[in-house]
Amino acid sequence: MFRLHDVSYAYGGSQTGVAALSHVSLDVAQGEFRWLLGPSGAGKSSLLSILSLEVQASSGMVEILGVPVRQTRRAGLARLRRRIGAVKQDFGLLPDMSVFDNVALPLRLQHRAEAEIAHEVHAIMKWVGLENRLDALPPQLSGGEQQRVAIARAVIYRPALLVADEPTNALDERQAGRLMRMFHRLAELGTTIVVATHNDAIVAKYPAPTIELLHGHLVRDHG
Amino acid sequence: MARQRYHDGLALRQALPGRFLPFLVGSMAFLAALALAGGIAAHSLSQRWTHGAGAVTTVQVPSPADPATATAAMGQMPATRIDAVLATLAATPGITGTHRLGDAELRALLAPWIEQTGDPSLPLPAVIELHTAPGQDVAANVLPRLQAQAPGVLMEHDSVWSDRLAALAASLQACAGLAVLVVMTVAVCVVMAATRAGLLTRRQAIGLIHALGATDSYISGRFATRVGLLALWGGVWGSMLALPMLLALSHLAAPFTAMGDAPATAPDWRDLHAWMALLPSALLWMLVVVPPAAGLTGWATTQLTVRAWLRRLP
Repeated sequence: MFRLHDVSYAYGGSQTGVAALSHVSLDVAQGEFRWLLGPSGAGKSSLLSILSLEVQASSGMVEILGVPVRQTRRAGLARLRRRIGAVKQDFGLLPDMSVFDNVALPLRLQHRAEAEIAHEVHAIMKWVGLENRLDALPPQLSGGEQQRVAIARAVIYRPALLVADEPTNALDERQAGRLMRMFHRLAELGTTIVVATHNDAIVAKYPAPTIELLHGHLVRDHG
Repeated sequence: MARQRYHDGLALRQALPGRFLPFLVGSMAFLAALALAGGIAAHSLSQRWTHGAGAVTTVQVPSPADPATATAAMGQMPATRIDAVLATLAATPGITGTHRLGDAELRALLAPWIEQTGDPSLPLPAVIELHTAPGQDVAANVLPRLQAQAPGVLMEHDSVWSDRLAALAASLQACAGLAVLVVMTVAVCVVMAATRAGLLTRRQAIGLIHALGATDSYISGRFATRVGLLALWGGVWGSMLALPMLLALSHLAAPFTAMGDAPATAPDWRDLHAWMALLPSALLWMLVVVPPAAGLTGWATTQLTVRAWLRRLP
């Protein structure tokens, strides 16, 4: 769950930067699934970056999983990040690490046992259909495969908040359908999920409450 | 099923190669060892000059067997001049020891002049060596009393040249300390530059694992451990390279620093114990301390550099 109150964000600083979000207020409860909609440049990626703690809001109050971000020290923010999963448009995979190591990275940062890590990685990679590509390097995979690896890494530690930026744009219809069913299953288990997309067809096929942005302003919040 | 290879995402073996940094830190450790050795040698010479020859005062008593002229103050019967002088010196605070040169010592000391006169029966004064505590100037206090007991007594103190040599040694020590400081500063700058280069090389990976929840202490700890070990390794090599040079210098400096007789020839090159005996224990300890000091400096510098760099991330 998260709460935003009067949040603004500008690239390059609040005084001289380019405004990406203006006075956005949102309140999303635990276990909710929300579509994040809007045209290019509407501020969707900025909102997801604020929610995944990649950037700090220029102004306003951000509270994620009950933690007030601005008042929290760096070590506390690091702990909070371990409860947030993020799927980025560019996948964010390390090119010199194998698929296995990329997916295992969040668990290793949590100091899990190697045997447990191996079990979890094999289970999630089987689910995304890439259990035979564990030793491959990301550049050796197709775009769709890389996206599935990024999704596997984002959900392997069952985050309390999951944000995904266009997670289906490199997937075929069958894989996208599997992914959406998994997202809904995670939401049922208590994960709060926000998915940004341009794909009207998938939004229509999997209806859910929406957050819509336009020119950085919140124009619709159907919670 | 289980992976064999652990990968922390930072790939520090690529970011911080294992040759460049040890070579530079090893060079710095080598220079630091030489500078420290210079400082230790200067300290050793200073100690020798201050507590050795420079601390000796010579008292000459002409006609030592003649009766003293004033022993009433001591409440004794009139004694010989030499007895009166020795008694006065023994009762004077600040004098740590006296040694009256024997006849043989005196003749050996004066042999060149005695041979020139050709008269071995020439009457000689008694000569007494006084050892005084450092910083004590007893001559000014005791000389009038000695001259009252034995007119013609002479006292020579070599503190002028020993003080100058001690000041020179102190200057050399200061220069050595300055050189060590400069070497350490350069080493810190080298480590900072190498660490920053490593951070730039792996900035994408660092950004990613930061986003996945890695703490600053985790990332800086990984970098600092790697750099600390490389610096330790460089320090070991620097100390090992400095060892033969210090052994050679110690052999050359032995006549100037040893209290006893220094060996005239170098020990056999296979006799490690003999070579090691040449090194003062302070130099040996210094060679042992340089590698961990290099490692610790590298570790601390990297911790600070990485943590400062990470502040740019949210």
